[in-house]
Amino acid sequence: MNQNDDDKLDSMLRLRRSQAASPDLAARIILKTQGVPQIQRFRLWQSLRQLFIELHLPKPGYVLAAALVLGMFLGFSTVPQGSSTTDSHSLNAQSFLTDDEGLL
Amino acid sequence: MAVAWPEKDDHELLALVQDGSHPAFAELVQRHTERFYRLAFRYLQNKEAAEDVVQDALVKLWEDPGKWQAEKNTKFTTWFYRVVVNLCLDYRKRKRPVQLNDEMALIDERETADQAMMRREEQAALEQEIAALPERQRTALNLCFDEGVSNQEAADIMGMNLKALQSLLMRAKTTLKERMKSYL
Repeated sequence: MNQNDDDKLDSMLRLRRSQAASPDLAARIILKTQGVPQIQRFRLWQSLRQLFIELHLPKPGYVLAAALVLGMFLGFSTVPQGSSTTDSHSLNAQSFLTDDEGLL
Repeated sequence: MAVAWPEKDDHELLALVQDGSHPAFAELVQRHTERFYRLAFRYLQNKEAAEDVVQDALVKLWEDPGKWQAEKNTKFTTWFYRVVVNLCLDYRKRKRPVQLNDEMALIDERETADQAMMRREEQAALEQEIAALPERQRTALNLCFDEGVSNQEAADIMGMNLKALQSLLMRAKTTLKERMKSYL
């Protein structure tokens, strides 16, 4: 097989006969589908996307919500230093009262 | 405000079609009918049959746009070429091969009557030999010699890698060169 044969075959393949479509083919298809009902499928991803669209908040809303969540997280994860002191104070007060009752 | 349909890409249009937008579907049809028809014609070599196949494919897309899944990262045209190819194969199975029509041959006005006749003969022989190729070789040829379809896209349409496609093309062309010897 020589290069000429390859080239000739390639050009024959490129020049294969063709016939243009009817000019109104696209219009016919569009017309045919007018009024044809679509099959509705339940798609999880699309439903979730729709749900997020429905629940869409403006950007400041997200910032506020994120700040609140962060604040709650920090609040729960940090043990307040004063709490044990307060407890020990209340314990002292109770023991003082008990002592007083003892005197009586 | 009027929607600028031509500015929307295929995926945006398909998302709208899935939401029931007929104007978006109309834009897709206007945009791609010609190229899908060209491919179908290459397969079927008959204008009416090719138009029927393309119409059928696009009507099915409208009826059930959920078949298209954007998440699969495939171009719409790649996916739809596959749909059209499958419908063409079904069509060929159902109906007997269409006879070639001499009037449809390409005619160059500078050619003499003899030259034109020879060209018609050559084209008819070529179509006959292409039709006799194994299905996958024929699909590879039809896709790769159709304008606008790169080898990589053709490989994607056929669900194979580029090397496998090139090998199919090579085999198809070797067979054709052998069988078309007298015309080369």
